Amino acid sequence: MLDRQLADFLEAGLAIYIASRNADLEPNGAHVVAVKVDGDLQHVVAFVPTVSAGAVLEDLRSNGQVAVVFTRPPDEKGCQVKGVFTDARDARPDERDLVLGQWERFRDRLEQVGLPRAPTDAWVTWPCVAIRFRVNALFDQTPGPGAGAPLP
Amino acid sequence: MSLTLESLAPCWQGLIPATLFTCSRDGIPNAAYLSHIEYVDSQHVALSFQFFNKSRRNVAENPNALVRVIDPDTAQGYALRLRLVRSETSGPIFERMALRIEAIASYSGLKGIFKLLAADIYEVRSIAPVLDDVAGAIARDGSGRRGSASDPRFTMRALQDLSVRIHQANDLEDLLDSILAGLEEIFGFNHSMILVPAEDPGVLVMIASRGYPEGGVGAEARIGEGIIGVVAEAQKPIRISGLLRALLYAHTVGERARESGLCPPERIRLPGLPIPESQLGIPLLVRGELVGVLCIESEEQYRFHEEDKTSIELLGSYLAIAIQNMQLHERAESASETAEPPAPPPIPAATPSPARAAVRREIVYYAGDELIMVDGEYLIRSLPARILWKLLTAREREGRAEFTNRELRLDKSLNLPEFKDNLESRLLLLRRRLDQKCPDIRIVPRARGRFALELSSEVSLSTRP
Repeated sequence: MLDRQLADFLEAGLAIYIASRNADLEPNGAHVVAVKVDGDLQHVVAFVPTVSAGAVLEDLRSNGQVAVVFTRPPDEKGCQVKGVFTDARDARPDERDLVLGQWERFRDRLEQVGLPRAPTDAWVTWPCVAIRFRVNALFDQTPGPGAGAPLP
Repeated sequence: MSLTLESLAPCWQGLIPATLFTCSRDGIPNAAYLSHIEYVDSQHVALSFQFFNKSRRNVAENPNALVRVIDPDTAQGYALRLRLVRSETSGPIFERMALRIEAIASYSGLKGIFKLLAADIYEVRSIAPVLDDVAGAIARDGSGRRGSASDPRFTMRALQDLSVRIHQANDLEDLLDSILAGLEEIFGFNHSMILVPAEDPGVLVMIASRGYPEGGVGAEARIGEGIIGVVAEAQKPIRISGLLRALLYAHTVGERARESGLCPPERIRLPGLPIPESQLGIPLLVRGELVGVLCIESEEQYRFHEEDKTSIELLGSYLAIAIQNMQLHERAESASETAEPPAPPPIPAATPSPARAAVRREIVYYAGDELIMVDGEYLIRSLPARILWKLLTAREREGRAEFTNRELRLDKSLNLPEFKDNLESRLLLLRRRLDQKCPDIRIVPRARGRFALELSSEVSLSTRP
């Protein structure tokens, strides 16, 4: 589903949010600190701060529908990955460097658009829940007339 | 304390993007960044609808939505549960949102492409703080944001201090400089400019600036183009924070539009900071008449706060009245002067300083375009150009060096409007432009309504069609 180039883009330290919905079709969402694309290029693991993952996890366990949006400052290039939840677990200590490394790269990008690091110093980024899902659709999310079009 | 939409006012600045979560009728969730959220009333917000994207299709079939916003003062995030109630394509909310988007679009040369299609009005069903954004980050970082002593505001005391300076001004030049100096010294705004309507309809011309090395007097902004031009057109203040991010967003839209075969016009370069982070444009209005536009820029991201809005509008009205009163006062005083031109004193030969002994200016008046070029470089156009040409030719043919405002008013060849000719502001503009571009040609005030043309270089005059 994904190719290596797109996987590298997703793991490059981006602005990331995960979306779910409950049985009443009410959406929920949470900030994602980092992602890791599985070697099969079919599955993605999203690392969501444990403190804020509750509603999303509940939704995913009940209906499995998930969407994750990625945007890269400063050029606003973005995409949306949709899929079906497979499993969730606590992030392992040996994944901490990967997660916080992506977070720091994201904060580097924020500085490029003039947003200082200080406002995000106090954001909770660890511990995380590792939410894994199988990708079934990709969409262009770069702002402009073509936003929302399926990616090949 | 329960959360209210009013308490979230800083979130609507757009400094940190909001995220919109929606869900299709068949249960597929979606997340997207939002360019603009606007407070409507205590129970409603409006979201910008600019493109027919997935979020828009989702809320059309399932009105439930969730939006996460972040307070730029505290870094605290909030989740608002929403329900779409209607879309508006006109009215005050739409106009307010469209104005901001239009200003950014115009700044980026994307007018007509990057635009608001509708303001979607949502009922806010609940507000809750999000748990992973911890409050107080910005407040603690000492970067001069809200609560910092180094963050001057539009307090009544500050407005009063500015008022005292304005009352002490003797003429238009003094007044304009007092306003801009006061904005810097009282409020800490280091980059500001005032533009006034030019003789040509639809054009504003910069008459005073502070904090820009290049000065920029004489630079023009077309009404409706750029943030200054949009302020003039809408006659409403615009306050934009996080402008860099907004411009990057608009730039990306522009790139996509070009790839799609749409060709936006070239960006219009306006005077000012290369990339301001915050911009405030204030229309200077007296009874609906546009006297000018005050533009303040800052390299800080969140310089102009929501609660300053009323004071900003008050400031605009006050400055407009002060400027118009001064223009009328100067005109009345000038009218009371004798129409006779002063007796020509012996014209001093150009008195070049040793350093300028060899300076010789080639001055060409292009009658068709009504503009003056000096040594092949543009100097000025329109009425100030006609005035300068009259002064230079009178000096050459009649040996005169002193002139009065009144004789200029009576000179039919200058074609001044009979009502509100703004002659004094045009003379000020001309004087400052000369100071900036060729300081060896000077207009020097002698007394109220009277001035001299002084040259410290040789000039050669010629006309072209």
